[in-house]
Amino acid sequence: MIQVFNAINNAFCNFFGINSYIQGVVVLMCVNIIAVLGMSVLTGFTRLFSFGNAGFMSIGAYAVAILTVRYHVNFLLAIVLGSAFAGLVAYLLGSITLKLHGDYFLITCLGFGECVRVLFNYTKKLTGGSAGFPGIPNYSNMLFAVICAVLAFFIAWRFIHSKYGRNLTSVRENELAAEAVGIDAFRFKRMSFTFSAIYAGWAGALYGGYLMYIVPSSFNLAKSCELITTTVIGGLGSLTGSLLGAIIVTLLPEIFRGLANYRMLLYGIAVVLIIMFKPSGLYGYKEFSLKRFIANIKKLFGGKKPAAGKEAE
Amino acid sequence: MNKETASVPVLEMQNVEKHFGGVHAIDNFSVKIEHGRIHGLIGPNGAGKTTIFNNITGIYAPDSGKIFFLGKDITGSSPHKVAQLGIGRTFQNIRLFSNLSVMDNVIIASNMDATYNMPQAIFHTAKYKEREKHLNDKAMNLLEIVGLQDKAAERANSLPYGHQRKLEIARAMALEPKLLLLDEPAAGMNADESLELVDFVRQIRDRFDITILMIEHHMDVVTNLCDYCTVLNFGKTIAVGTPAEVKSDPEVIRAYLGGNE
Amino acid sequence: MLLQQIITGISIGGIYALLATGYSLIYSLLDFSNWSHGEFAMVGAYVAIVFSNILGTPFVIAAVMGVLGGACISFLSERVVYRRIRSTGGPNMFLMIGAMGMSNVFQQAANLIFTGQYRSYSFKLPVSTIEVGGAYIGVLDLISLGITAVILVVLIYLINKTKFGLNVRAIACNQKAARVLGIRVDQSIATVFLLAGSLAGAAGILYGMKYNVFPTMGNVGLKAFIASVIGGLGSVPGAIVGAVLLGVLETLVSAYISSSLRDFFSFALLIVLLLVKPSGLFGVDVQEKA
Repeated sequence: MIQVFNAINNAFCNFFGINSYIQGVVVLMCVNIIAVLGMSVLTGFTRLFSFGNAGFMSIGAYAVAILTVRYHVNFLLAIVLGSAFAGLVAYLLGSITLKLHGDYFLITCLGFGECVRVLFNYTKKLTGGSAGFPGIPNYSNMLFAVICAVLAFFIAWRFIHSKYGRNLTSVRENELAAEAVGIDAFRFKRMSFTFSAIYAGWAGALYGGYLMYIVPSSFNLAKSCELITTTVIGGLGSLTGSLLGAIIVTLLPEIFRGLANYRMLLYGIAVVLIIMFKPSGLYGYKEFSLKRFIANIKKLFGGKKPAAGKEAE
Repeated sequence: MNKETASVPVLEMQNVEKHFGGVHAIDNFSVKIEHGRIHGLIGPNGAGKTTIFNNITGIYAPDSGKIFFLGKDITGSSPHKVAQLGIGRTFQNIRLFSNLSVMDNVIIASNMDATYNMPQAIFHTAKYKEREKHLNDKAMNLLEIVGLQDKAAERANSLPYGHQRKLEIARAMALEPKLLLLDEPAAGMNADESLELVDFVRQIRDRFDITILMIEHHMDVVTNLCDYCTVLNFGKTIAVGTPAEVKSDPEVIRAYLGGNE
Repeated sequence: MLLQQIITGISIGGIYALLATGYSLIYSLLDFSNWSHGEFAMVGAYVAIVFSNILGTPFVIAAVMGVLGGACISFLSERVVYRRIRSTGGPNMFLMIGAMGMSNVFQQAANLIFTGQYRSYSFKLPVSTIEVGGAYIGVLDLISLGITAVILVVLIYLINKTKFGLNVRAIACNQKAARVLGIRVDQSIATVFLLAGSLAGAAGILYGMKYNVFPTMGNVGLKAFIASVIGGLGSVPGAIVGAVLLGVLETLVSAYISSSLRDFFSFALLIVLLLVKPSGLFGVDVQEKA
């Protein structure tokens, strides 16, 4: 199945002349998009902070690696199982830690992420330890990654724009008031935490299938911080913002090669400035809308083409 | 309402006590509120009025005593369960979902009507569309009642203060409560606005056939609106009766003149 | 053997305590976990490196400069960044995100300026050990422990016996009321950052003497975070107890179980503790007022 899949991808890429470098960048971008969307639901819409999402990524990545390599499970099924497993772990962890307040919850998440990494390093028989886990089938081709990212965005969008998203947002805005209108804040926090872990696991699974080789140290605290950073740059409380953030954060260092060394420094500065001057980020609390975009363009050109806007609707 | 429920008091509190450290925030508080009444809770600052609300709505669990809602023991239930049973409330210092639209504030409060599940939400099935339309209509209807239908798309925290109070009431009504708790609804209002509020609260009671327990400082609001009231001072009940009876009670006069008011 | 491990543990715990107390002080005032606190220690350690290794000053001057460096960077962070974020009135999470960004900036800047190389102080460190009842204890550990103890005693005196300490405690209790009573809140907050930064600077130098100086050494701030959570966020005595407990636990796990599982045990202890005592050992559970 993978061969057929990769053949389709190759045919597609050859037809459009997309070289393997670009394919790689796109795959990594999709991995980031999925992980950041998960973080966005958690941090942007629920105002919960997790320094443990890299841990959930690694759970997804390792689960899929073990399932496909050791048990020869079909990769699609393995990805579903791996993401679900990350979600299950989050559900159980959240059940006990989400009752803690603010920073107490945060430190348990952080601790969890670090514990997972240490455990993967330690359980050499199962995971290969710090030497890494080789031989993962190469299922994350560009086409598949893009399909995953589109699907992830679609699901997240529908999730956020339903009662689930509204309830999460109400917990973010005012937990006491949310409870006073019958919303079980704990349950929705746990749902958000689980959702974000499933996405992290999904992203981790794609990452493993792209590199064909994973080591615990790729999923460290710095990775979790990077996910939060990207979410903040994109804008808290905006899925389109997170999408844009993930694309920018992946592409900028590729475009400006000379800046590679300064990448993390620049992200750090960006985060500090955004939080200081425009905490809502690029698209905070707002979604990108085609209508508004066209309206703005029209304004720019003095409202010359009124028909174009209507067609787009 | 049929006769059976009418005979059971909507809210009954029996000997409820709550301490914070050594302070008796509420001391042996009892009250019985019949269906359709508007009951006032008055007293100087720090008399324990809001603490009573917080005990009813489950934010605090009382140290002792019992609370019954329509005959059901709700002592120590969690806030969302109490709300789901049908007790709506507003807050002394308004607590809206500030960054969300006026409409969303109300829609969120009718979350119990959103009976679709996750797959239905993701695939936008007929059930999802029908429920969402219902939620929208219901919210719009409530906004019309409080006169905010033109502000539906605005952000809640952009509304002027008086409108925010009304929105909070509309939000509480979206729960379809049988008991509504209002925490100082007339706070910060002038005499005219207070009078308007009196009409508004009475209208809501008649239209939705609900029972209201309200904390209020403005004596004119209480006199105009409440059927009964309970006066508290330092957690103790010092008088119970109609507004007229209470106003002439010597201990109430002493508490008010000697207190913070 | 056990005694030796415990003393080493207390000595490391002391370094954590220098960070954790500053951390807790800031938390008690602002309800904000200063994620970049460890980086103040890193800055202090590098300033001392510049003075001792490049400018060739004697140890005492390098150390004083290191402490001042930590204090300055902490003070500047507050004045330039955190005060601005507070003034926007956003949720406390924004302070935390800002601090995370700052931590990133400091770490990357150190990496660009000094490269990722591990550096050690050029002055001679007392590497000898002394024998106490059959146990060999490092002189460096003892010196570190002594310095830490003196600093912490001074700190506790400052908080409990001086007017400044009284102001800080008042602000921690109720910032609005303190402001109304005429306490200069912003000034006190700035002073606390100055104090916390100098403690961090001292911790950075001691840590650097024991384990070298490198750009990511600020991650030791994480230990301070854990220690103050164990002790109860916002409690200074709690932070000291938590730090010493953590230091001893880490040393014992490294010695008797496995050094690669050290952090696993620390976090496991933390999570179990929080399940039993959700606000740490000395923390107070504050309920939000409706």
